[in-house]
Amino acid sequence: MMKFIVRLIDVASVIRSKNAGPLQITLDILFPDATSYALACSSNALKASALAERYEVEPNSLSVIHYHPARAIKVVIDRPLVAGTPGDSDVYGAQQHHPLLDITL
Amino acid sequence: MTAVDRLFANPPHATDELRILAASGQLGYGIPAEALAQGLKRNPHLIGCDMGSVDPGPYYLGSGKMATSEAITIRDLTLVLKAARNLDIPLIIGTAGTAGAEAHLQTTLELIRTIARNERLDMKLAIIHADIPRALIKEMLHAGRIHTLGPIPLIDDAAIDRATNIVGQMGQEAFIRALEMRPDVIIAGRACDTAIFSSLPVMLGYPVGPAVHMAKIIECSSICCTPGGRDAILGTIEPGGESFTLESMNPLRAATPLSVAAHSLYEQADPFSVHEPDGVLRVDSASYEAVNERVTRVRGAVWQPASQITVKIEGAERVGERAILCAGSSDPRVIENLALIEQGVRGNVASILNDFITGYTIKFHIYGTGATQIFSKSKFKKPSEIFFLVECLANNADHAKAVAGVTKQYLLHHGFQGRLSTGGNIAFPFTPPEINAGTAYRFSFYHVMEVDNIAELFPIEIEQIRGNVQVATHV
Repeated sequence: MMKFIVRLIDVASVIRSKNAGPLQITLDILFPDATSYALACSSNALKASALAERYEVEPNSLSVIHYHPARAIKVVIDRPLVAGTPGDSDVYGAQQHHPLLDITL
Repeated sequence: MTAVDRLFANPPHATDELRILAASGQLGYGIPAEALAQGLKRNPHLIGCDMGSVDPGPYYLGSGKMATSEAITIRDLTLVLKAARNLDIPLIIGTAGTAGAEAHLQTTLELIRTIARNERLDMKLAIIHADIPRALIKEMLHAGRIHTLGPIPLIDDAAIDRATNIVGQMGQEAFIRALEMRPDVIIAGRACDTAIFSSLPVMLGYPVGPAVHMAKIIECSSICCTPGGRDAILGTIEPGGESFTLESMNPLRAATPLSVAAHSLYEQADPFSVHEPDGVLRVDSASYEAVNERVTRVRGAVWQPASQITVKIEGAERVGERAILCAGSSDPRVIENLALIEQGVRGNVASILNDFITGYTIKFHIYGTGATQIFSKSKFKKPSEIFFLVECLANNADHAKAVAGVTKQYLLHHGFQGRLSTGGNIAFPFTPPEINAGTAYRFSFYHVMEVDNIAELFPIEIEQIRGNVQVATHV
């Protein structure tokens, strides 16, 4: 049986992050077709536990939502600091997708 | 006869279509004029603009200043004021002046008065205030009627006193009350961006669910399109009010079923619901169909009225004065020893300053090593060049600059095992490399408050502007 390594960055059409209010960061991963979306939804690498490990956060501060109307996987993470508090490093939360970029499905 | 008088003299009923033009999702950054002009040709019943949010961070709410430049804010306000007055249709602007506190509202009103004089515009203004009295917040706090919205501590009386500005997010109720006063233009302090666009259809009797759903999408102008952008968008509620269509006023942008559905994700923790002061919009059952290649029809969102009215309250407080140091390094030994160097420099700075500057903080943002990252930095490889942005906070601006200056000198000359760069560890792009960056603020509240009388919370005043009457002021 042949095994394929599928990289998230090669199949997703959008991988982005942004604040959802000043207390949370939301990551959206959008897929261009039903096949890649289904593959991503079933992948262990995009389960909450794996993502919490990847982001080095407590599992209860991260959640994953599958949003079928847009073929999207949404990840929501509590911010350790309220946006813009001195010590924050990304006031808009727009660069927190980096840890997703080397995921293989 | 005002614009709202004229609209209500022959109001669209739920059996007619209602056209709402969303001119801007963030007024003051440059409204694309061509798309706005196209939208005006479609004979909209209302023009709406959002002018702010909490997204740009705590500085604006804390300081009372606008994020946008005065020049571009005047340009954008002039565009929409002239458009609305020329067509004699109502204009609603929400979250005036970036954060919607009283200072922002007054700055925006002063700009509008100047524009009205220069452009000879007459208008009846309804002004909705959004500052929340501290006594009321304390009373509600002690009654257990203020709740946190996430990982932020509950406030206390001292935090309420320390906040420089505290605003509440008004909803449809305040805008409907303002529309009942029959103005030409409504300028609101902090407001739900949806309420700017949904209050008129709800007041006219259109079903609430689709009206709020449309408002939620068009408040970001053409961001729901592919490719997304900042051009004006036309939302048309169809006869009966059970469905609406979306069309960007830039022909290059297409609102497709997928791009519109995907917009529910944007800056939202929960793509299935939108919380408003008086209810929750559920979009689980919404459906999206293409009318043509650039227009999408949406239906099916459900409005669930709340049993308890709640208002989101936002407050910011001063943390200190900020100075920053800007410098870079491409020395491999410096880059290998960053942790050690930072620790050493902190020790040197403390030994110099501790006698007479207390209560300062230093944060090393070292770009190239994961400085952008809030969570994990472990994926970053050793870079060949780095940038130091050293953020110093102290009780006054002189002290902040002193902390940055001493840090600069000790970072430049810090000695360590294996050092090659004995001429200096860092390169400055310019001098002085330490720069005062103004007052630092933080959000001290982002909470939800139960409300018994929402009308009292957001008072409205009326101002008649007669820009067309030129009064000679000879001295």
